[in-house]
Amino acid sequence: MTAPFSYVRVTDDADAALDTATPGSQLLAGGTTLLDLMRLGVMSPTRLLDINRLASSSAAPWGRVEETEKGLSIGALVRNSDLAYHPVVRSRFPVLSQALLSGASPQLRNMATTAGNLMQRTRCAYFRDVGVAACNKRNPGSGCAAWDGFARQHAILGGSRDCIAVHPSDMCVAMVALDAVVHVRGHYGAAGEGITEREIPIADFHLLPGSTPARETTIGPGELITRVTLPATPFAARSAYVKARDRASYAFALASAGVALHVDGGKIRAARVALGGVATKPWRSREAEQVLEGHPPTDDLFERAAATALATAQPRPSNRFKVPLAKATVVRALTRAREVA
Amino acid sequence: MVVATSRNIEPEIRGAALPAQVGERAPSLIGLLPGTRAGHDDGLEPSDSPTVVALFGGGEASFAGDREREAIRAELRALGAVLLALSPDLLWVFRPDDEWQRLEPAPCPPDGGPPALFGQFGIAPEGAGGPGLLGLFVVDAGGTVRFAHRVGPVERITLRTAVEAARRAMSLPLCGRTGASRREFLLASLLTGFALAVAEACTPPPPVRDAGSLPQDQLDLTLEINGQRHGLRVEPRVSLLDALREDLGLTGTKKGCDHGQCGACTVLIDGRRVLSCLTLAAMADGAKITTIEGLGSDEALHPMQAAFIAEDALQCGYCTPGQIMSAVGLVAEGHAKDDDDIRELMSGNICRCGAYPNIVTAIRRAQKDMHGAGPASPGAKGPA
Repeated sequence: MTAPFSYVRVTDDADAALDTATPGSQLLAGGTTLLDLMRLGVMSPTRLLDINRLASSSAAPWGRVEETEKGLSIGALVRNSDLAYHPVVRSRFPVLSQALLSGASPQLRNMATTAGNLMQRTRCAYFRDVGVAACNKRNPGSGCAAWDGFARQHAILGGSRDCIAVHPSDMCVAMVALDAVVHVRGHYGAAGEGITEREIPIADFHLLPGSTPARETTIGPGELITRVTLPATPFAARSAYVKARDRASYAFALASAGVALHVDGGKIRAARVALGGVATKPWRSREAEQVLEGHPPTDDLFERAAATALATAQPRPSNRFKVPLAKATVVRALTRAREVA
Repeated sequence: MVVATSRNIEPEIRGAALPAQVGERAPSLIGLLPGTRAGHDDGLEPSDSPTVVALFGGGEASFAGDREREAIRAELRALGAVLLALSPDLLWVFRPDDEWQRLEPAPCPPDGGPPALFGQFGIAPEGAGGPGLLGLFVVDAGGTVRFAHRVGPVERITLRTAVEAARRAMSLPLCGRTGASRREFLLASLLTGFALAVAEACTPPPPVRDAGSLPQDQLDLTLEINGQRHGLRVEPRVSLLDALREDLGLTGTKKGCDHGQCGACTVLIDGRRVLSCLTLAAMADGAKITTIEGLGSDEALHPMQAAFIAEDALQCGYCTPGQIMSAVGLVAEGHAKDDDDIRELMSGNICRCGAYPNIVTAIRRAQKDMHGAGPASPGAKGPA
């Protein structure tokens, strides 16, 4: 059973949720990762700040999707299912809708939130098993059991000797392809200067494990994600998400690709290539984008772009299959994006 | 987690010989175990059962609650052993078929009081001031130490964990008697057994809590379940699933995996299908919850229930309440156009019997009935 903790419900005053600087505190949104990991003993906060009621607050659009002049604004507490089926997301940002609907199950999508998904934690089996001593993410300095272990699910891009755990989110991969910006609220600057917001491009939001795998994002205690904005871009509408997994549905990605293309005059003017299931963070391949840009969208070009995206892959013995799988996934996603009218 | 291993701490012990080690004679326990008499040469009397000696730093809080006590009892039965739990002032005796017996003050063994005995087992008497388990030893019927674990300064091992570890270590076969001496093998296998047992039995040490956030917080909640309001006082950690089943007696909602992987616990909250295992009861405070009990009645089944029966969409039935609640949510959402959509949108509900084909047929059938029935059917309220 879950270890005891105290429970605080944040109702209207969002700044109360900044109180995560108090040691042992965690924000509770959908709970689909946090409560699972608490039951496993992997996370053991002593105090939960339930921010779900902010969704019905009138003060800020915590639970709403809003069209703006610049694009789309997605409240931190918008549920995955509501975002996936939002008509504007379906028509103008299809890669995001497809990515969300490929993740988890309908029940979990009804619970999971936008901000929670940004903070989703890895499914590495060694991380999730407190009976395994070596996990630098869970227990810094203890080693990485996956490195010489069963690494079929693990990362081939962005890993280090200290951690090869995959970032599991589908949503984040699509958001990387859409140049999303994460808006974060916190106390910045000198004391007494009050609460302000900062904006973090999503490609900079998640950190590579390096020698500090326990640090996963650029935000810390006392900070709160308020919303994510998607800029209106010429490539967002022609986008697609393809996910390869062990069963037809309800499984984490072995490899996935979120791509977007702006084709004009028979040539690709702008491209985005992002990968999931194969990297330690939602992975953007600018190298593959450079291969695509300026050329007609041919099958051959897609193959070369995919090969470029995987050029720096460093698989472990048990996940070499991910290199060709990820390439094929990128090619298929680009092909689908090309077909979008 | 750091796997604890046995270690030989040999503190300065004035006037005492080197502490008892595995394979050596144990300090005399005569006088401690009721029914034994002083006067025998050494070792333990009566000689027909081994003894587990647990040395505590003091404080009754060190001793386990009911469940732990029963677990310790089972381990003692497996060992055929009596437990002596000794602190500087108190002695508890636990025979597997009796209750705890508490003696105060602790009787003295022939070679001195409890502090001296602590020293003979290699535990510094001055270390015996704080609470908690300091060491655990198994002494066989012949008076030889068969298992020794002295608790290190950063370990937190409960009596139950230590007794389990000792039992497992004692049950390991003594194989490979060539090469190293038997004693080395005995020692090695005991250490391995102990490390394994601790790795499996130990959950991480409980986090240090500040006094302001003690776990005895109770929350007063109101849940509107199947149209009826229920007041509830629960701990924050209670899931909605456990609140339904354990506190409110609504056992129609099933616990499958308890980790959001099987869908057996699916309920509707404000008309939307969610997993009650990954929802805290506190999160649902004030919400309208529909469970399988609230869908229909014996006289008038909900169309989805009727369709599951008509299409034989179950075998063992354990996943069925979750399947039905999920299917009701699916129809309300209105995204399933064909059988492929139904399969995809029911993927969060696992059926170990493999009744999937008939589940799909049942949902397709009920979909028509529910659309015909209109929004009046209970639980079919669409999301906002």
